[in-house]
Amino acid sequence: MNFMENILRLNDVELLRKSFRLDIPQLDLNAGHIYLVEGPNGAGKSTLLQLLALLMTPTRGVVQFCGERVTQEAQRQRLRRHITLVEQNPYLFDKTVYQNLALGLRLRDVRGDLQRRRITQALGAVGLEGFESRRAKALSGGEARRVALARAVVLSPRLLLLDEPTAGLDRDVLPIFEKCLSNLPAHGTTVVIAGHDLDQSRRLGGTVLKLDRGKLLQSTSDSLPLRKESA
Amino acid sequence: MDYLFSSLGTALGMIMHLNGEVLSAVGTSLYTSVTAILFSSLFGVAAGAAIGLGSFPGRGLAMTVLNTLMALPTVVVGLVLFGLFSRQGPFGPLGLLFTPWAMIAGQIVLATPIVANYTVAAVAGADPRILPTAMTLGASRLSGTWQLLLEVRFGVMAAVVAGFGRVIAEVGVAMMLGGNIRGYTRTMTTAIALETSKGEFAFGLALGIVLMTVALVINLFLHQLQHR
Repeated sequence: MNFMENILRLNDVELLRKSFRLDIPQLDLNAGHIYLVEGPNGAGKSTLLQLLALLMTPTRGVVQFCGERVTQEAQRQRLRRHITLVEQNPYLFDKTVYQNLALGLRLRDVRGDLQRRRITQALGAVGLEGFESRRAKALSGGEARRVALARAVVLSPRLLLLDEPTAGLDRDVLPIFEKCLSNLPAHGTTVVIAGHDLDQSRRLGGTVLKLDRGKLLQSTSDSLPLRKESA
Repeated sequence: MDYLFSSLGTALGMIMHLNGEVLSAVGTSLYTSVTAILFSSLFGVAAGAAIGLGSFPGRGLAMTVLNTLMALPTVVVGLVLFGLFSRQGPFGPLGLLFTPWAMIAGQIVLATPIVANYTVAAVAGADPRILPTAMTLGASRLSGTWQLLLEVRFGVMAAVVAGFGRVIAEVGVAMMLGGNIRGYTRTMTTAIALETSKGEFAFGLALGIVLMTVALVINLFLHQLQHR
């Protein structure tokens, strides 16, 4: 895998939503990297993730996914198969854990033994072995977050977006979560995490993207002192 | 009182001995109502999901029209469709008037707004994260809407049951479009109206008991769904 390969490029992008304006002069996300979107509450982190997930259409500017300029809804839907977003407060369908994980795989025509193997593997990665037949609605908050992560990871997306994934998570669960995330780039997945925890970025070895009042200010590398990569 | 008790006894006897006339009316009622509700569910759930989830010009008007159609008098539906299906009407050549299919068409018109309205309520009250979650997992808007309907399945089932309750108990459409033909288009409700007017009170009572039992079963089912 080429780790310099560009996955997603935003150029002079503006998104207007009610009274909020998101302004991204330039953003390049490369394959197999971890990025942390950092900024105060209301900075537009969740909106940026929605935009990166191709769930929103920018008012202005160019969005390119794997070199393909995204312009039409049908194309957006096709490309979304390579992107997965885990919301801050993820929704689990009123089914078993297995069925929750199988949903995205079914949409990608992954069935039978391969489906079972991948689900077992994904649940193992988040420390929830043997949870397949549990009802998703009966899980604790922490377990539900891990199932949501497993449901995203099982799809082996090229771009995984996580909105405040560890906020409110028990301390003993955090290492499992971070280990799972840190393993993903080696498999070619680009991970973008929106959050406040700069230490997490350092632990995961990612690049920090600073967002303030809807404007992407800079992106910097993870290690101290923060090194400016691009404006 | 003796008259009432003896009629009740006769009515129960007819039900227990599976009286042919009673069975025929029950069969026609169930056949037309079940067929109608299958079509109404298709149209009503689709329309309800589109209106409940959509944001388009005229959505408010569509809701008002749906609410108005819910209170549509059955005889008005019967009257309009009679005009359409009668020999001089645009669908006259199809020869549908006074057949079960004319009754089914009328019942579809009656039940669809009810199913649609209940579906609008079910999808509007659904968790707003359902559709975006399905779409982030790779679903199209259409398959995401299907996932959402599965999540609110008890509300959708309540919509279907409410529609069925409306058509199984209606008399106007069945009488005007079916013609109350014995053994062919005679339903429980039209048979009750006819037989009672002929003085066959026990027969009407037997059908009334079956109709009430069907209504009771539907309501018990609806009650169960609402408490899930």
